[in-house]
Amino acid sequence: MEIATPEVAPIIVPEQQEKPKSGLEPGYLVVCWNDPVNFMDYVTHVFQRVFGWPRKKAEFHMLQVHEQGKSVLTRESLEKAEHYVHQLQKYSLHATMERDE
Amino acid sequence: MKLVRHAGERFEFQLGGREKDLLMEILGLYPRIPSAYQRLSKSAGSEEPNQRLLEEALAEQRRENKKQLQALLADREKMTENAQGWRLALTSAELEQLLQILNDVRVGSWVRLGSPESRLEVLDEKMAPDFWAMETAGFFQIRFLQMLEKGTNRS
Repeated sequence: MEIATPEVAPIIVPEQQEKPKSGLEPGYLVVCWNDPVNFMDYVTHVFQRVFGWPRKKAEFHMLQVHEQGKSVLTRESLEKAEHYVHQLQKYSLHATMERDE
Repeated sequence: MKLVRHAGERFEFQLGGREKDLLMEILGLYPRIPSAYQRLSKSAGSEEPNQRLLEEALAEQRRENKKQLQALLADREKMTENAQGWRLALTSAELEQLLQILNDVRVGSWVRLGSPESRLEVLDEKMAPDFWAMETAGFFQIRFLQMLEKGTNRS
């Protein structure tokens, strides 16, 4: 007597296309937007204070804001991104955080 | 206005009598930015909890800044009269706070002017006080920044 063994097709697990992002993953961009009211020297100063950057790096991002309309300043977890946005807004800069899609 | 002494965390500025009056007038306008001006995200609506938390945090920050500003201006050790005018003594933390306050007055005045994208061509009587506040706050802001840089480079 033959025992029938069911044919088992290999299970193909589809590759996960998108992993859901938790608040701890660095999936949030801190963006500074251009406006016609904040002085360039002031923006540079604020970047240095908030991020502890050297003047050259702060100037690079300030010029990016000025010439390209915005600059991505850092990529962080939700909590850290909120912290940086709050710090930048304390100085009245036009800063937001956006999901890094 | 000029930086007369900088040692470690302490800065001392010399102001003329008119400069001191102007600075006091500008600081008296703080806060000027409307509470809902800042957005947490380009996509966040005003009803989102994080947006509300941000607005509360900024409002709290402004209340604290206002309280500390009033204490600073009332402190006779901080602002003293001398033969040349007035001597303003600030720590670097107080100077940072002063820069935030001045920029709030500048940006808030710009918002009151309708957030113009380019330089205003025509000024009427109604707009003049906000334009004056925006420009005067900017003047002090730039002077403090220049002196801060000078002081930092010197030390």
